[in-house]
Amino acid sequence: MSVGVETSGLRKRLKANEALSGVTLSFEPGVLNGVIGPDGAGKTTLLRVLIGLLAPTEGTVAYSVDGRPAGFDAIRPGMAYMPQQPSLYPDLSVREHLEFFADLYRLPAAVYRERSEELLRVTRLERFQDRRAGRLSGGMYKKLGLMCALLQSPSLMLLDEPTNGVDPISRREFWELLGRVTARKVTVIISTAYMEEADRCARVHLLEAGKVLASGAPAELKRERGIKGFAELFLRLGGAA
Amino acid sequence: MSLLDWRRTLSISRKEVRHVRRDPFTLALALGLPVLLVTFFGFAIDFEVRDIGLSVHDQDDSRASRQLAEVFSSSGFFRLQKAEDPGRLLRELDSERASAVLVIEPGFGKDAGAGRGASAQLILDGADNTRASAMLGYLPGITAAAQARLLGSAPPQPARLRTRFLYNPELNSRWFVIPGLTVVVVGLLAILLTALTVAREWENGSMELLLSTPVRPLEIILGKLLPYVVLCFLGAGVVYLTARLGFGVPFRGSHLLAVAAGAMFLLACLSWGLLISVATRQQQLAMQLSLISGLLPSLLLSGFVFPIESMPPFFQYFTSILPQKWFMIVARGEFLKGAGVLDLAKPLLALFVMDAVLITAALKRFKRDLEP
Repeated sequence: MSVGVETSGLRKRLKANEALSGVTLSFEPGVLNGVIGPDGAGKTTLLRVLIGLLAPTEGTVAYSVDGRPAGFDAIRPGMAYMPQQPSLYPDLSVREHLEFFADLYRLPAAVYRERSEELLRVTRLERFQDRRAGRLSGGMYKKLGLMCALLQSPSLMLLDEPTNGVDPISRREFWELLGRVTARKVTVIISTAYMEEADRCARVHLLEAGKVLASGAPAELKRERGIKGFAELFLRLGGAA
Repeated sequence: MSLLDWRRTLSISRKEVRHVRRDPFTLALALGLPVLLVTFFGFAIDFEVRDIGLSVHDQDDSRASRQLAEVFSSSGFFRLQKAEDPGRLLRELDSERASAVLVIEPGFGKDAGAGRGASAQLILDGADNTRASAMLGYLPGITAAAQARLLGSAPPQPARLRTRFLYNPELNSRWFVIPGLTVVVVGLLAILLTALTVAREWENGSMELLLSTPVRPLEIILGKLLPYVVLCFLGAGVVYLTARLGFGVPFRGSHLLAVAAGAMFLLACLSWGLLISVATRQQQLAMQLSLISGLLPSLLLSGFVFPIESMPPFFQYFTSILPQKWFMIVARGEFLKGAGVLDLAKPLLALFVMDAVLITAALKRFKRDLEP
């Protein structure tokens, strides 16, 4: 199944600040959707609203499955989320994390065994499955977070700056993993502050100060605006604003 | 759709067990601290006031006056010292060298010998009313002993009140203190252990991930409570053995009833800690609140030291919201009196109600979102 997400006039006030100011977006089903923007653009707030961890102050979020409207409760079991902040348990091992999340998602034992073995192989963490999360490198830690999210074979994944603070080689491996995920027609919404990562997405939404600056396919956007990279676009649009 | 999925609940429990196993501090807190506190305070706290400094100013210096002083000394409660200077008698009390001064005026011996009702003055330090009350309690016995000593025989008694102490015939203070101390220590431990669990998840960011999964608040609450119920039971068991073997406190009740009531008490305290954790979301604040709410009321308002009946009516009602008050009745009833279910129906019912209220409150307060 292919999950689509659309937001309309989304506003979110956090204490005195308006983190989102009328965000209207459409996330394409079954592809890699990027939410690109500098720190403080509202990316994390947007993803938290989409996963249901924050309620919008104003506006709506609509989900669809294979083009037909679907409620949040129907989508929820197939959603996976990877927060930006470290959120794993430092004293639990890789294997123990996988077991824990398999139980939370109520995976049958055979399915768990098959998926965990596949994920450990693909992420090349097989050798480290007894290592505690607190002793993993930055890249391995992020991979483990992704594995926990992928364990249930989600139809919608929300990844909040998953490559933040990760070395270039680990970042490349991480994106290769995401490529495998989208090959299965999983809808992925990924936020990042690395402008060059936008090119890896099928569709990007440029966000700044809680507002959408532009949306579209990366190549299309660059051609339309006559720019080489999105950093240039941010500088230009941000300066105009 | 059922309200509770046991696989998810037990998975949370298993994760907590792993945290505890890998955290020597928690294990030491759960198993070592109760024994340490009960042993330490079991020896330190003694409601029997002894070794009271008594300054004797004997102006008579007769055989009778010396006999009177000896009666005080031989009671075992007083430590005698001479006070020669009449002008410095009150200084004895002011400087805390003595808690009482016995003034025997000239002619005491003659009056006693002639049967003229010899009298001496005892000045007590009323600033420490606990000690003063204890001394007042000792005086009837000392007066009777003094009369017998001075007259050479016991005075005639037209009527006599015969007293008999049940459950603790020797009025062994430790038999009274240790069961109460057990309640205070185990209760505090239970509140402390759970106060950090949810707050820790909020602080290290794992709650955000947990809330994005299908797990429900009831599963998180119960999953987190279960391992600590077991851990606190182990702690309580060690304390029980310390009380029985270390201090020789008798246990006259039903072990089954004590375990059942103990489970209800622990559940109430653990839920209280969890409620603090859920509400504060910060480990430091949770720790401070649990110490304040877990220690002071249970020491001062649970009936451990001060009888609840002596408190003003408002406080008597107020103490009813403390699980420690009710389990104090159960613990003393089970250790010393061999009380049965019917005798303890009221405290058991109160603990049951508290369990339901506190778990519901923790669930209601548990937020499924990240709203500030």
